[in-house]
Amino acid sequence: MRSARGAALLRHLILGGFSAVIAMPLLWVLRVSLTDKATAYRLPPEIGEIGLQNYVEVFTAFDFTRWFGNSVTVAVLATLVSLPAAAMMAYAAARFRTGGWPLMLGVLASQMIPPIVLVLPMFLVFTTLVPVPGLVAITIAHVAINLPFMAWIMASFFDADTRMLEEAARCDGATRWQAFTRITVPVAMPGIIAAGLLGFILSWNEFLYALLLGNHSSQTLAVGLASLETHAGVNIAPLAAATLLALAPVLLLLPFLQTYLVKGLSLGALK
Amino acid sequence: MASIELRSVSRIFGAGAQAIRAVDRIDLRVEDGEFMIFLGPSGCGKSTTLRMIAGLEPVSEGELLIDGVRVNDIDPAERDLAIVFQNYALYPHMSVRKNMAFGLKLRGMAEAEIGSRIARVAETLGVEALLDRRPAQLSGGQRQRVALGRALVREPRAFLLDEPLSNLDAKLRSVMRTELIKLHRTLGTTMIHVTHDQVEAMTMGTRICIMRGGEIVQVGRPQDVYREPVDTFVAGFLATPPMNLLPARLDVADGALRLRIEGQEIALPLASRPGWARHAGRDVILGLRPEDLHEAPVGAATAALDCTIETVEALGPETILTLRLGRDGTELAARLPPEGDWRIGAALRLHADTSKLHLFDPETTRSIPGN
Ligand SMILES: Nc1ncnc2c1ncn2[C@@H]1O[C@H](COP(=O)(O)OP(=O)(O)OP(=O)(O)O)[C@@H](O)[C@H]1O
Ligand SMILES: [Mg+2]
Repeated sequence: MRSARGAALLRHLILGGFSAVIAMPLLWVLRVSLTDKATAYRLPPEIGEIGLQNYVEVFTAFDFTRWFGNSVTVAVLATLVSLPAAAMMAYAAARFRTGGWPLMLGVLASQMIPPIVLVLPMFLVFTTLVPVPGLVAITIAHVAINLPFMAWIMASFFDADTRMLEEAARCDGATRWQAFTRITVPVAMPGIIAAGLLGFILSWNEFLYALLLGNHSSQTLAVGLASLETHAGVNIAPLAAATLLALAPVLLLLPFLQTYLVKGLSLGALK
Repeated sequence: MASIELRSVSRIFGAGAQAIRAVDRIDLRVEDGEFMIFLGPSGCGKSTTLRMIAGLEPVSEGELLIDGVRVNDIDPAERDLAIVFQNYALYPHMSVRKNMAFGLKLRGMAEAEIGSRIARVAETLGVEALLDRRPAQLSGGQRQRVALGRALVREPRAFLLDEPLSNLDAKLRSVMRTELIKLHRTLGTTMIHVTHDQVEAMTMGTRICIMRGGEIVQVGRPQDVYREPVDTFVAGFLATPPMNLLPARLDVADGALRLRIEGQEIALPLASRPGWARHAGRDVILGLRPEDLHEAPVGAATAALDCTIETVEALGPETILTLRLGRDGTELAARLPPEGDWRIGAALRLHADTSKLHLFDPETTRSIPGN
């Protein structure tokens, strides 16, 4: 009995330790966002007077609304463009072995190239060859990163089970396209949504491309927040508030992501 | 309603040295309104053949005709055949009703007509109460009915059934077997039914097509295939226990055919099987169905075989004995009436009905015709 309880205690200590490592910075940011600059730097940490003044300042003193708007625009557009394309690519690869293993290996390899290697050629393309507005350039870049990533995730959703359903639909009189849109896509929808959410979050948090391909007016949240750290010193308290606001959409999406990812992964259990 | 014809049809998977001929130049004509059974061991190409007919698998060589029209390159959607898969392949995101309506909607049928067809089929199959459920909320047997219903509402030119009963328990399977036979009788639509269950094969079809290794071994009415198997494979495949196959030597002496089987002899008049005389002086395989062995001589044409009882299986209406020829010779089975006092290890003299004997050539495994 005693040793069982001891083991449980040990387990919780270890888990608690890891949780703390993840939670502490977030809690720290939360604390800072609710205090003023002077209290924020005090050690040991103090709570001091709590208020929402930093959250108000985020909207009045910075371009927060525009950054937020830019991020939403880029992430939504990039996801809307890449998701259907990625679904069709994954379908083609799964169903017809289009491109064979080199394609899927290439897709995987593209995820392993350090972004900095790609960003310079892209910068040249978008500044000299096809000059486009900053937001468009960032969106295109995000499509380029997200599409293979999403296709890679989705390839496994178009497996033997959906194939058999499609065959049934084809014999029922459906064209290949009808079978794809009316059977395969709805059946794989949880997985497709999960891939879309992952892509959205990836795009939302993306920094390097957004920084180098954009200009002042096309700053996304990730870039805008980073800029706060340099101009006129670090305005730590409003920065913390802005960071939490930037995180909010991702935090809101996470429960959905989890649900759909689990459903997507259990697609095989059609019976 | 359709006739289906395969002319030297092959399906080759892969290419070059690794190419597999899953179906090897088969010729078959399924007549309009026929209930054809594809029977054979696992991997013999039954499903592949069915899928080629459905259009889900390309025809690598040869010609496939439906109602006399070459359909090699016709899309499955346009063949107007309905297929029922072993795992049913119901659309999981649609209700039973929508599953059934799917194919009709694609054909642009009016809602009212769709509704009445579904109602009719649902009643036939007894699934009215399930129409608004999702496939996940159905039992295996119910899914099977819905899958069948989805095919029935289409009123297709032919039904292709790929082991639709194999996931059901024994009782449900025999119920569905009867229902399928009835359905075929009322609809009169061409059906091809894939199975490796020989009871299904014997009872359901108007003809059986027995396959092995991508080839057709024999096609015929169930009783004909049973009575006249063309080779030892068919003889050994149909029925449980299958035909006994005993190594023997054939001689002709004094106007009689003499079969010597491990020291015992069966004699029969030469006139009864003149064709066998050509194999005199050679080794043969003697084929003898378990039900053609009796405890007492039946009629004039019998020959005694001394055996030793090895196992006794009392099945109720009959008893299956596994025996050894002589004391410890080749194994054979006998199907006897249920009453009898059989002890394991005891000697038993059985009487073979010599009018029911088969001979096979041990080299080619083909049947040796008696006349
Ligand atoms: N896609 C494929 N690629 C390569 N070989 C295949 C493919 N599909 C089937 N085969 C081979 O073709 C042969 C026939 O397969 P098929 O599925 O038609 O057998 P079957 O008679 O239906 O068997 P079972 O009773 O087990 O369903 C098998 O040897 C199988 O391995
Ligand atoms: Mg099969």
